[in-house]
Amino acid sequence: MIAAIVVTLVHLAFALAITPVLIGVMRTVRARLEGRVGGGVLQPWRDVIKLFAKEPLRAPGSSAVLIWAPLLLMASSLVLCALIPLVSTLSLPGAPGELFVVVSVLLLGTVALAMLGLESGTAFGGMGSSRHMMFTALVEPTVLLSIYALSLPAGTSTLTAIVRARRDDLSTLLNPVSILAIVALIVVVVAETGRLPVDNPSTHLELTMVHEAMILESGGRDLGWLEFGSWLRLTALLGLTVNLAVPWAIASDASATALLIGAAAAALKLVVAAALMAAVEVFIAKLRLFRVPELLAGSFVLAFLSVSASYLVF
Amino acid sequence: MNQHLFAQLIATITGVLLLTAILQIWGRSLVRSIGLLSVQGAALAALVLTVGLNAGEPQVWLVTGIVLLMKSVVLPAAMLRSAKLIGETRERPTTINPAVELIGAAGLTLIAYIVGVPLAGPDPDPARQALPVGFSLVLLGFWLLMIRRSAITQLVGFLVLDNGIATVSFLASGGLPLTVELGSSLDVLLVVLILGVLVVRMQRQQGHTDITELKELHD
Amino acid sequence: MNLVDAGLYGVLVGGAVAVAAAVVLRGRARNVIAGLSVMAVGAFAAATGLAALAGMVGTGLVIPVSLPLVGGLDPLVLAPDRLGGFFLLLAGLVIATSALFGIGYAHGAAASRTGWTGFAVFAVGVALVPTAADALSFLLAWELMAIGSTVLLLADHAERQAVRAATMWYAVMTHLSFLLLVAGFGVLIAAAGGTSWSRMVTIAEPVASVAFVLLIAGFATKAGLVPMHVWLPRAHPEAPSHASAAMSAAMVKMGLYGILLVTLRLLPTGPSWWAVVLVALGAISALYGILQASVQSDLKRLLAYSTTENVGLITTAIGIGLLLHQSGQQAAAEVAFIAALLLALSHAVFKTTLFLGAGAVLHATGERDLDQLGGLAARMPVTALTFGVGALGAAALPVTSGFVAEWVLLQALIHTDAKADRLLAVVMPLTMGVVALTIGLGLLTFVKAAGIGFLARPRSEAAARATEVGFTMRAALVAAAGLTIGLGLIPGPLAQLLAGAVGATGIATSGLTGIQLGGLGTVILDPLVLTGLTAAMLAGIVIVNGIAARRHPRREVDLPWGCGGERTSPRMEYNATSYSEPLARVFGASLNTRRSVEIEHPEDAPLLVSGMVFNQETVDLVEDRVYVPAARLAQRLGDLARTVQNGSIHRYIGFSFAALLLVLVLVTR
Repeated sequence: MIAAIVVTLVHLAFALAITPVLIGVMRTVRARLEGRVGGGVLQPWRDVIKLFAKEPLRAPGSSAVLIWAPLLLMASSLVLCALIPLVSTLSLPGAPGELFVVVSVLLLGTVALAMLGLESGTAFGGMGSSRHMMFTALVEPTVLLSIYALSLPAGTSTLTAIVRARRDDLSTLLNPVSILAIVALIVVVVAETGRLPVDNPSTHLELTMVHEAMILESGGRDLGWLEFGSWLRLTALLGLTVNLAVPWAIASDASATALLIGAAAAALKLVVAAALMAAVEVFIAKLRLFRVPELLAGSFVLAFLSVSASYLVF
Repeated sequence: MNQHLFAQLIATITGVLLLTAILQIWGRSLVRSIGLLSVQGAALAALVLTVGLNAGEPQVWLVTGIVLLMKSVVLPAAMLRSAKLIGETRERPTTINPAVELIGAAGLTLIAYIVGVPLAGPDPDPARQALPVGFSLVLLGFWLLMIRRSAITQLVGFLVLDNGIATVSFLASGGLPLTVELGSSLDVLLVVLILGVLVVRMQRQQGHTDITELKELHD
Repeated sequence: MNLVDAGLYGVLVGGAVAVAAAVVLRGRARNVIAGLSVMAVGAFAAATGLAALAGMVGTGLVIPVSLPLVGGLDPLVLAPDRLGGFFLLLAGLVIATSALFGIGYAHGAAASRTGWTGFAVFAVGVALVPTAADALSFLLAWELMAIGSTVLLLADHAERQAVRAATMWYAVMTHLSFLLLVAGFGVLIAAAGGTSWSRMVTIAEPVASVAFVLLIAGFATKAGLVPMHVWLPRAHPEAPSHASAAMSAAMVKMGLYGILLVTLRLLPTGPSWWAVVLVALGAISALYGILQASVQSDLKRLLAYSTTENVGLITTAIGIGLLLHQSGQQAAAEVAFIAALLLALSHAVFKTTLFLGAGAVLHATGERDLDQLGGLAARMPVTALTFGVGALGAAALPVTSGFVAEWVLLQALIHTDAKADRLLAVVMPLTMGVVALTIGLGLLTFVKAAGIGFLARPRSEAAARATEVGFTMRAALVAAAGLTIGLGLIPGPLAQLLAGAVGATGIATSGLTGIQLGGLGTVILDPLVLTGLTAAMLAGIVIVNGIAARRHPRREVDLPWGCGGERTSPRMEYNATSYSEPLARVFGASLNTRRSVEIEHPEDAPLLVSGMVFNQETVDLVEDRVYVPAARLAQRLGDLARTVQNGSIHRYIGFSFAALLLVLVLVTR
């Protein structure tokens, strides 16, 4: 029990510490590849601190959603980081990181964000919210099916147990079930966190915005929570994917050395994955809105084939 | 060869084969499609190597070399050249919804699995166990032939089909039917070269390579 | 006489008092007394149901019947078993809540003598269906339920044309359902030699399959499964809201009770294609229902389609349970059956909340078109909050009953061993995909319903003038929303009770209130722990936020909307139609969406634009492709029949006479 709480706290601290760095690395890689200098790895930290020192606004007649949605998004992201095996596979008794629970917590954050977009009362907010929810709806089958496929060899749908089983039996890492599911999961991460080619996180062109459109009306610390919450989602999802794909060196208990090694390995894996993602982003353009469902359909097919391959072939 | 390692390699390689076939249906870019074909060819060569080493065949390296050269270098290069000559880089838009194409592909793979499992027989060895993936490659090749319009992607579909047949034969025989493979590879090479020339001529005469518009017979 | 019997008498007496009050009293007194009596019916039903679910067995109400010349009639028996008790509990909760809402809500035709009488008869009918222990009393209660709901629906016929059309659809479909059931039970009775359920346990093929098809078709019609769902999106919007809630949350469940009755009790050893039929029927309904719901802009129509979706999910769960049962995976099968029951109860409570919420909005604004609503969260906070809870439940998010139910269903799917069984290996991933897509689309649908309806600025005068509804309505809303959250927070004890209803073992309470699915390894869900975790995170965030807020307090400004733009009007907001427009495009083919843009030009300048009209309507594909051709065929047959029926009275008398002669000859042969 104590060990599990320690692990949860380590997960939270790890996620909070590495997330801005991760975003900073992605931006810097991108800037360097485009021939710019960039704001440096620590710029996201400075952004957040700046935002928290600014006052937020409130429209007359606006509801409590305006105030609570950013906090809820942040809370859901934090719970996500607590449940996902980032550093160690030890999980809280009574709250194992079960697949559907984790997905629901993720969706709670999504809903908070979508509601905020609608609350903003402008065309942009609604537009972003509508598009975001469409992507979420279409991503949902892929999320569940791909992790379902990975859960079959482990015989459980608890993420911590799946990661542990994959770490202990490395031969499951490279079979077709695993390859297809991981590719599908990567598309999921891209779509859920609004990266290229689904959504351009650095766009300022209103008509192509998805995520940015929803938070267009927010400012001050509201915006701070929203930004940080969304970044944490990236950390959590990317962390889950890399730990599923390469589950080496992840701790399975709460001993100090294991946690240190686990944290170092997770940080390394995350930074490499994030840098790769940013590097790929330089070379691709945003997809047209109505081409995104094709991308998602493709990832669904991969996940589906992964499940059926695991049942019927391997 | 260690049986565990053998099973692992077979699984990984067939996974790559299936993934490349699905990606070919997913994507629209001709160049990428040809690139994937090259990867598929390399995976096939790896499959040959694995099966051959496991069976202890003497001429394994030779066959592997031929397959690698043919499927991964020569054929894709020839196709790339044709594509460059006619200046086509993207598949023409089809009337079918891309999602439907993909879901059709999933259904075909499922069918391949369902019919393939009994064919592999009871208690199969790792190679036979992967047989359904070979079947799915065959069906996906057919599917590409059905849904694509450009003559170049027709060729891609044809080659996926051929790769599928090769996969099935390697996995099912457990060894290397060298002469068979050599003969069919040369056949395919010839077909691709001739078709490559034809495609370029088609482009010159009609200004496009859309096979759905080839309906009338001329002298 | 124990609690179960007493409760049954209570239901009947309450119903009688309610009818009397509806007939004798007038005005406000009628609303209050009749409403309270129907509430009592609901309360008695719920108490009886709970007792029966917990395993209490009464002697039941036994009415001996005999008809001359007809043999094999068992007495009419009303005595709920555990499964019936569960559905009685469900119906009782829904009826009590919607009657409470009706006290404040009923006005116009719904508050008339006919309106309340219809509601009372309907309530008694719904409560009696799951208590029936033989085919005859089942059919009688079923008809009572159908008649009551039809009368209730028709109450407002003089005012609105749409009501008449809706009632016509409903009456035809409900009759179809009844006929199919009579035929199905007829087959069973003939084979079993009696009307009591207890006799119908050893029916052999092929009689069993014939009965199965007839009964499932009948029950599916009542439950609103595709393609028999067409009455739902017509009847639910037109009925008074408390009646829509009771119909959608309780009455359609009786169709599901029927399906469970057939597959678990009457014909428990069916072939595997029965299960596949149920899974397919359910999966198609779930997907089609939620797709249609996602593009609707009429709030109550949206909810009606979402009912089809949920009923579809429940049917899928039943089918999966049967499939697993047949392949010998007893533990997973039991979990699937429990999932079906949890989904049913969860749908009952959240759909009651949602329909009552829609009723409150309708009461306050006179609008049920989402495109005309907006900004209600600031004007109707209680309604907004409760509707939000209902929407969370419908979207299967924590910590609501919907989340728990779908979690259990997914556990059954995930813990299936399909290695040995090719049928399962195909069905399971497909079902998983359908359920997941349904969840995703459900999320979009209910974000839209709650967000467009209640957030941002009002899109019409009516919405701008709205005020919070009266006490009884708020009380009903809070009760229903409370149940939604309560069942989501404390699912363990209920799941354990339900395990008894389907004869499952291995389902236990984990920790204080969580669910433990013991048969599947140690799979646990403890919503309280999750809530605690979330609350801890939220508390930390709120503290940090509070510190920041003390330094830099929030500022209210006049024009923050639209980046402070002065000319943004509420008409520029996204509305329900635009919200689902991308989805309508992606699923264009299966939604049958028709769009038109009309551009008006000034008379003297044909190149300028003076106005534009955009119109989009979604015509139900099934209605368009199945029912319209069927109606046309019926019309043509009717035209043919004209040659026989020319209106001459003498000819009709001649037909009757000929029929009489024929019967005499046949009987005395």
